[in-house]
Amino acid sequence: MIVCVAVVGHQNNPLYLQSFTEADDALKLHHIVHCSLDVIDERVNNPKRSAPTLNETFLGLLYPTENYKVYGYLTNTKVKFIMVTTDLDVKDADARNFFRKFHAAYVDAVSNPFHVPGKKIASRSFGVRVSTIVKSFGSGTTG
Amino acid sequence: MEDYPEELRTPPVSLVSIVGCPELHPSISAALSSQQPPMNTLALPDFSKASILARSGKARDPLAPPQAPAGILKKDWLLKHRTRVPAAVAALFRADQVSGDPAQWLQACSDLENLKSAIQGKNTKLVVVLVQAQASDELSEDVTVALRKRAEIDSRHMIVLVEQDETEWSRSLSKLKNVFAELCSAFYKEEGRRIKARIEKRNFSSVELSIRYCFKVAVYAEFRRDWPEALKFYEEGVRVLREMIGTSTRLPPTQRLVEIKAVAEQFHFKISTLLLHAGKVVEAILWFRKHIRSYERVVGTPEVAFLHWEWFSRQFLVFGELIETSAATVPDTLSPRFGTADNALTEWEFQPAYYYQLAATYLREKRYAIECSSSVANLTTEASGIPESVMPSVYVGQYVRLFEQGDTVSVLPLSDTEYTSYALSEAERFQDSYEIIALFRKAYESFQSLGATRMASACSRGMAIEYYAAGDFSNAKQLFDGVAGLYRQEGWTTLLWENLGYLRECSRKLNFLKDFISYSLEMAALPLFSGSGEENRENKIKSGPGGSPTISRRENIQQEVINVLKRKQAPDGTNDEFDNAMEETTHLDIDQISPLRMVLTASVAFHDQSVKPGSPLLISVSLLSHLPSPVVVDQLEVQFNQSDCNFVIHSAQEDSPPLDSNLHDQVVEATSLTLFTNKWMRLTREIKSGQSGKLECLSVKATINKHLVICCHAESPASMEDFPLWKFEDHVETLPTKDNVLAFSGQKLIQVEEPDAQVDLVLNSAGSALVGEIFIVPVTILSKGHAVHSGELKINLVDAKGGGLLMSPREAEESESHDVELLGVSTVDGKELKEEVDSIRKIQYSFGVVSVPTLSEGDSWSCKLEIKWHRAKSVMLYVSLGYSLGSTEEEALHRLNVHRSLQIEGQIPLLVTHQLLRPFRREPLLLSEIRSLGGDDKKCSLAMNESNMFIVNARNCTEVPLRLHSMTIEPDDDGKQLCSVQQVSGISNGHAVIAPSEEYKGIFSVNPRASSSNFHLGDICLNWSRDSSLGEDQETHVIMKQRLPEEIKYSLVDSQNFVFSGAHNHAAFILPKSEHTVSHKLVPLGSGSQQLPRITVTSVRYSAALTPSTSAATVFIYPSEPKFNLETSCSTSDECVS
Repeated sequence: MIVCVAVVGHQNNPLYLQSFTEADDALKLHHIVHCSLDVIDERVNNPKRSAPTLNETFLGLLYPTENYKVYGYLTNTKVKFIMVTTDLDVKDADARNFFRKFHAAYVDAVSNPFHVPGKKIASRSFGVRVSTIVKSFGSGTTG
Repeated sequence: MEDYPEELRTPPVSLVSIVGCPELHPSISAALSSQQPPMNTLALPDFSKASILARSGKARDPLAPPQAPAGILKKDWLLKHRTRVPAAVAALFRADQVSGDPAQWLQACSDLENLKSAIQGKNTKLVVVLVQAQASDELSEDVTVALRKRAEIDSRHMIVLVEQDETEWSRSLSKLKNVFAELCSAFYKEEGRRIKARIEKRNFSSVELSIRYCFKVAVYAEFRRDWPEALKFYEEGVRVLREMIGTSTRLPPTQRLVEIKAVAEQFHFKISTLLLHAGKVVEAILWFRKHIRSYERVVGTPEVAFLHWEWFSRQFLVFGELIETSAATVPDTLSPRFGTADNALTEWEFQPAYYYQLAATYLREKRYAIECSSSVANLTTEASGIPESVMPSVYVGQYVRLFEQGDTVSVLPLSDTEYTSYALSEAERFQDSYEIIALFRKAYESFQSLGATRMASACSRGMAIEYYAAGDFSNAKQLFDGVAGLYRQEGWTTLLWENLGYLRECSRKLNFLKDFISYSLEMAALPLFSGSGEENRENKIKSGPGGSPTISRRENIQQEVINVLKRKQAPDGTNDEFDNAMEETTHLDIDQISPLRMVLTASVAFHDQSVKPGSPLLISVSLLSHLPSPVVVDQLEVQFNQSDCNFVIHSAQEDSPPLDSNLHDQVVEATSLTLFTNKWMRLTREIKSGQSGKLECLSVKATINKHLVICCHAESPASMEDFPLWKFEDHVETLPTKDNVLAFSGQKLIQVEEPDAQVDLVLNSAGSALVGEIFIVPVTILSKGHAVHSGELKINLVDAKGGGLLMSPREAEESESHDVELLGVSTVDGKELKEEVDSIRKIQYSFGVVSVPTLSEGDSWSCKLEIKWHRAKSVMLYVSLGYSLGSTEEEALHRLNVHRSLQIEGQIPLLVTHQLLRPFRREPLLLSEIRSLGGDDKKCSLAMNESNMFIVNARNCTEVPLRLHSMTIEPDDDGKQLCSVQQVSGISNGHAVIAPSEEYKGIFSVNPRASSSNFHLGDICLNWSRDSSLGEDQETHVIMKQRLPEEIKYSLVDSQNFVFSGAHNHAAFILPKSEHTVSHKLVPLGSGSQQLPRITVTSVRYSAALTPSTSAATVFIYPSEPKFNLETSCSTSDECVS
């Protein structure tokens, strides 16, 4: 189950952060998402990464912490997507698929002419769409 | 890791025992422990001690039904095998003990029997060692055979040690070592095989035994250094153990879980150590993941959750320490694509800091669990109390109660309730906070060095929360402050909110009123993170003492600040908080980088860019606050760098008159000064500009509730930065002023111009200056309304054509070669001003500074500039007067300046030309040398020993009459010898006045005495002055240049007034762009204005004729002095371009 998704802007500022838990660990999820930015920085700036992976948007598992797993994704405009899940076994393909859908939703949201780039995403329809994507995660409807 | 027993932490080392000959033990032990692999020695000085090798346990009746084991692992089993159960025993006998005395032989035999019986039933091997003094001390074959038979050993296990001989000793010792190594290996292999057979045959009654056997096999394998086998059986044990959780019923559930976890911990530790020592980091981490995953949910009942968290935290801590001590690095073979299918691991899992951080997190979990358990326990089990004399049992992870009844001490099992209260009371004795802080600090430092600032901040926050929980508020505050900076910078408002909530409470606890207010205000002004409209759910976030981030909570916090401020005013001062800060007014300073800019921002814009002093100007002050509730400002004080301009705006509701407004301030009343959230409060005021210079608005001070003064640094709308945090919010942004232009370009500073100078500076000039004279320019300073203090006159001469410097570049080296030179400034006013001591008087060639005496209103002062022209040049004269209105220091800072400039032409006063008249030619015309080689070609030849007439014309080129004092020819040395010069006609009455454009002629007779192809006649020296002025006589040196006559083409018409010599018609060829001079000698026949003979120049090629105008060919003939030899000559020059 996905417990949290976030969009993080260029200045590492949160543009969108939504948690999907009933428990009151939302603050903890904020911390987890914030800390995961360190791993993204490390991965993106690491010169050891070979050339073919540079174009890869999916960053993979950023780090496991407590009973969460944090996955990352970097768009071509350097906007970061972060997903936190409690699932023990997450297939790479599932995570990639999730991010692809999430990216599409994000693109639609920021293409709104009333959206100012760099500001928080306040679109309700984006929220609804994200909830749908989150609910469908891991339910086998990959494709 | 240090908590683990030594035997668990270090790899097992084989144990052998030596009995007898105690004097040799140290050297043998040392030799064995330096062996690779080392062996430990259990040294028994004599055979009577051999009984300790005997089995200590009770002999089990082999027929009795197998008892269910009471635990999984016995605590001392490993220690026993490492210290008390030797793999081999060596009996040491001296050679004389067995060869000589029969009594001794018998003794030796009985010792050997005792030893044999002690190790009976075990696989422990026996070795007999005979110690000889010399290698030559050959023992009889009989003795050795008898001994071997007694000991029932192989001949290989009978070793002779030679004591005295060094080489023999080491040789025999190494033989002993080899034998021991071989026997150890056999022993542990045999033991392992024995137990393994039980596992394979499933020859055990309970699952506990299965685990125990696995452990034993693995340990025996470790003794043999068979790591793969050890690993295999440890892993098998762990697997069985994990399965056991649900099935075992031997102990009450809580204690069972505790025991299983304790055993699992040992197994896991062994596995991790083995893997890490083998360099298999990746496997170790994967194993750890598996271990954690198997046990993370096995919490047990809520009352003992703390036990689980403590255990769980320890797993992370120990693994972190293992990673750290083994200095594990990311293997190169690993794919660099962490976290993907290629490589399931992530970077941080290779960092000990990651484990420390999680260990700290779980230890904190334990602390929470204890708090919960304690409160529950206090309510329910107050009566039952804590069971006494509970102690660890012989089994790993078990606890029992000692029960004493008379002399008998029995061991009783515990019930779960008893155990829980015992464990709780034990756990409560520990101060976990300090351990948590230490762990977080370790992780913090490590992450910081890795450059993971956010993770480090999270650790820092963890420490801070622990300090807060432990009541160490100043440490907590310091740490929280450090973390808040990062969250502010990156705009994580929810995290910042929590942080500020803690900071606020810390300040409250520490009685820091100012901090409390500023943190509270910052919190109240924070933009809330609202997810996509689902505010309600998102805002249920539990955020420490700050409460959940909602608008109502923000409003509450703002109200709290108001209440704190109001209570201060209350006469009885009943509130217990912030009591010692009662008297003061709290000042908050908000600059452009302060996080409190969200609370209050002041934007100040002048409507103009510059203004005259003293004239009114408009200023707009705009204030913006992001506080959720309206803010009522009592008083607004706007401060400038010129304090005279400060003004105060009071809210009309304010009843009491202001007390603290100083006299300079202008006080203005405004109807209402209330700030609404995110709405600019715009105030436009007219103020009087102050002194000249920069007028800058420095700050705006808002007084709120009388005791809170917020001082905002004024910001220009043009250079105003975005609001921190709010810049990411999707909300309408408004402009600080209504005027759009002002909102984008307004400045908080204005230039106040200088006041108009009321002093006149007059430059008089008498027309053009003449080259050579000292030209006087009078300068007059006339005060018309200002007194002049410490005035200073600056004079500057600049080339009017530009170029600045008044000298030609090639002459720059010579200081005297300035074309125009400022010689000095003389103050003439009838009365000579006395020299002031501090008067400035610096005169350079083109620049001068002169101090002006103090002048009161209406006075005037003048001076004269003396300028000399060396060359005809047009010059700009700049004179500027700088003065101040008073002599005080303050007034002296404001200087007024008056500038004047004047262009002065420099003219050549006299144009000097000359002519030579030679006597008539008396010889036949002969070809003469016209051009001399190598000499100056511009020369004429004179008749030798004849009187040649030399006529010098001095023409006044100026517009003023000049007085000519003398005209002489000063021959140089050359000239004196070669010719004599006599003045024929001179200046009568001492001087001659030459009117403008008039000419004066001086006539000299030149009589060459020697023949010379080239000689210099001398200089013409003219001494002249202006006719009207009283200036000194000047000399003009004109160097005579001789030239050759040339032919011209012309036609000349006779004139009745003149007779002239020369041809009427002539033709000449003129080269392009060259000048050709036609000279005729004319003798006027009458005086007055006379028409010269008309000349007509015709270009043959173009048939174009040029006739000069009548006026150009008219000259005025003065009546001649009554002298015979007066002649007038005139030359006409015409140009013709072919």
